[in-house]
Amino acid sequence: MSDRLTITFEGRMLGARPGQSLGAALAAAGEHALRHTSGGDCRGMFCGMGVCQECLVTVDGAPNQRACMVKVADGMVVHRQAAPGETPTARVGAAPILFADLATRSADVLVIGGGAGGLSAALAARSCGLDVLLLDERQTAGGQYYKQPSEALKVGPLDRQQRDGSVLRQRCEAAGVRIIDGAETFAALDASSVMATHAGRTAVYRARAMVIATGAYERAVPIPGWTLPGVMTTGALQTLWRSHRALPGRRILIAGNGPLNLQVACEVMAAGTDVVAVAEAADMLGPARLGAALRMAMQDPALTTTGIALMARAWRGGAKLLFGQVARAISAVEGGLQVELGNAKGGHGERFVVDAVALGYGFQPSNELLRALGARHDFDPGIRALRTVRTRECETTVPNLFAVGDACGLGGAPAALEEGQIAGLAIAERLGASPPAGVSADAAHRRLQRHRRFQTALWHLYDAPSPGLSLADDATLICRCEQISKGTLIAAMADGEPSIGAVKRRTRAGMGRCQGRYCGPLIAAHLADATGRPLHEHALFAPRAPVKPVTISDLVGGSSS
Amino acid sequence: MSSFDVLVAGGGIVGMAAALDLAREGRSVVIVDEGRHSGTTANAGSLHIQMQSRFIRMYPEQVADLERSLPLYPAGAARWRELEAELGADMEIRSCGGLMVAEDAEQFAFLADKCARERRLGLDVHMLERAELARTAPYLGDAVHGAELCVEEGKLNPLKANEAIRTTLQALGVQRLDETVITALSPAGHGIEARLSHRSGHRSLTAGQLILAAGSGTGQLAAMLGVAIPTGAEPLHVNVTEATAPLIGHLVQHAERMITMKQLGAGQVVIGGGWPARFTGPEEFPAVDPASMIGNLSLAQHIVPRLGALRVIRTWAGVNTTTDGQCVLGNLPGHDNVFAAVPGDAGYTLGPLVGRVAAALAMGRDPGHDIARFTPSRFAAPA
Repeated sequence: MSDRLTITFEGRMLGARPGQSLGAALAAAGEHALRHTSGGDCRGMFCGMGVCQECLVTVDGAPNQRACMVKVADGMVVHRQAAPGETPTARVGAAPILFADLATRSADVLVIGGGAGGLSAALAARSCGLDVLLLDERQTAGGQYYKQPSEALKVGPLDRQQRDGSVLRQRCEAAGVRIIDGAETFAALDASSVMATHAGRTAVYRARAMVIATGAYERAVPIPGWTLPGVMTTGALQTLWRSHRALPGRRILIAGNGPLNLQVACEVMAAGTDVVAVAEAADMLGPARLGAALRMAMQDPALTTTGIALMARAWRGGAKLLFGQVARAISAVEGGLQVELGNAKGGHGERFVVDAVALGYGFQPSNELLRALGARHDFDPGIRALRTVRTRECETTVPNLFAVGDACGLGGAPAALEEGQIAGLAIAERLGASPPAGVSADAAHRRLQRHRRFQTALWHLYDAPSPGLSLADDATLICRCEQISKGTLIAAMADGEPSIGAVKRRTRAGMGRCQGRYCGPLIAAHLADATGRPLHEHALFAPRAPVKPVTISDLVGGSSS
Repeated sequence: MSSFDVLVAGGGIVGMAAALDLAREGRSVVIVDEGRHSGTTANAGSLHIQMQSRFIRMYPEQVADLERSLPLYPAGAARWRELEAELGADMEIRSCGGLMVAEDAEQFAFLADKCARERRLGLDVHMLERAELARTAPYLGDAVHGAELCVEEGKLNPLKANEAIRTTLQALGVQRLDETVITALSPAGHGIEARLSHRSGHRSLTAGQLILAAGSGTGQLAAMLGVAIPTGAEPLHVNVTEATAPLIGHLVQHAERMITMKQLGAGQVVIGGGWPARFTGPEEFPAVDPASMIGNLSLAQHIVPRLGALRVIRTWAGVNTTTDGQCVLGNLPGHDNVFAAVPGDAGYTLGPLVGRVAAALAMGRDPGHDIARFTPSRFAAPA
């Protein structure tokens, strides 16, 4: 029996594997242009993780479906989303309800996010006998580090990283953590309750303490052509292969800043693609970086060795490793995408023609729920992002609201694991539960310190000036959703000393489906530079419900009666 | 100390409209806006004309006043259309008609009664039975029994409108001090002195005349001059969906429940209607109450079932100004050179008209409307 599914896209029959996302099936078939814009362009999958809202397609008549989040099903009829999409006919809606009519689900501890930090926090709290409920937005919890494949794909773990995630999830399930996959948490009500939709129903989830472990998403660095279909984040490329065993083409170029790019280059090369080049903005081979490399090796020899091995593997595999280089422009040409490299200051470099381009410039914390609840944040210039103010036990400035992992400031998955355990145990103590004999947070604290020192050295090794808007030209779109160009934004920002909210209202930047996640930090950084006022927690767009777009029918499909 | 002909307190639609007329007549104008309750820019863009049943239900004792204010609303909508033409800007103003829907015979009878009273007051309103309504507004769901149509009602895009007026004022040389709080007002010679606070420091300025167009903050400013104007702040919830192909052709309201719906030019549907938001923090910043999303959007998809397939992508909290249900418009008692300019309700609809009237008063001209009943002195304690 064949394990292939068949779908149609714009009338063309395509094969797909059970368990894949629709976006992965389309990418594997070379279909990158997934939606039309009102400006007459096409867009494709960019983030691959449900954040950017660029891969919207119409599935069996239903518009606005994120291809990257929809599980492919046999016989799906898929169309490029028009701009704007048609709304399906309906004569009867649901009976009106009020907030008080929503079903409520309770637990001792609520964990939002099922990556390394969330799973670890859930396991630690559960091991102390607490009732733990974990909500994760993906079909299979594991987050962006473990990137678990769907069971239906029937593939084993790719490597240690994926196996670790699978083991951690199994331990959570065996311990009795209640994991709800595919649950979108869209609003924080107070320090101990949220609203989330799951399987078309909305419920209020309440607990005595809450852990926010919502991770991070990739930072945008706009360059000419970055909105072209086939240009995606490095994380999206990684997800395609790790979670869906799909590849977006034969020839790939990866550019940006940070260790993920090299890792993903090796992964997709091993999968059979031709990674023609990896451009790294940091000039890592300079002698000044030696000290950082040595400090990393002292803190974590194994991880450092892995890093060196990756570099060697990429080089042996035929990828050009170019340091101090960035992708300066991408254009659509006969036979693919042409990428022009160069140094960040403007020199012209080599050109490559490829099928897909991955851009990875590091991450932004997904701290919307934390900020919406009033947890304090400070801007950390070291990571160029907000850092959640927390106690040693990972409690935020809001009592009983804990936060772990990259959502609070980009510490990496190994640190998130330790933070999760620390938070889980601290919550247990707060709620009067006892840890199993012999378990304490001391060892986790020691390991956490080591991971943090490693991370600091890693950032130093990869330190490169933030390109911000500098690689964009006047016509380059900065707000992808609302199609607002750099020229328009610069003019609006130069008119008086506008707040970020005023810039948003003047230009519409940040008003689209991604809710300003990509353009917001860029605009905030530019305003901070222009006014000389440091970035702070109110310099970004105000986080408001819904923190993710949510279908109105899902929102009101939750009456308990 | 800088000196101006007119100080306009409040940079929302009323203050901007007043400043526009004054600057066009050569007056030097400064606008000071606190930017806290964001009346300036948090508008939802309905052009209301028929009486909103929300007010009839919430404040039944004010119905007589509401009826007496009714003629202002068609004039307010007309002023918007003129303004769009004068500025040569696309504000997406559409006189698309407004429907107030009824779900059963009882609500329909309530609307029929309201319709009859409004017709006597000169509004172009009609009742539509189910069959006729289905032809006029096929997007409405089976739950809708009938509706009152107000022909002149409509909508506009407040982002476009506010920006067009702001840039026009800038070109006319009107100064604008944003994120600036007026901390004291006092008579000085023949004018007024205002002390201002901004994060960069304190300053003062003088002006010959003062227009209080600060919405819910007007009462506090009037109190600095010893005059009582009971303005209140009512934070309200607004939602907007992702864009969709043309769906909702009218401004849609409900006979008995709190809802307004309209579709912007680019396809997003704005859904509001008076669900509560809340003030948070020491600054009383208006913040969204997620609970309002449920009730408000639930009602929206009940009336227009096709909305169910759309995602809500943004919400915000606007601040409505409450008074006694009528405009507060005219000279402050005891202060010949100070004028209050607060719309009674549907402030955005009335904004350009109320601003124009205040500017006319400041210039000693005929405001063109009988505003005697709106005088701020009606709140003065009886001697």
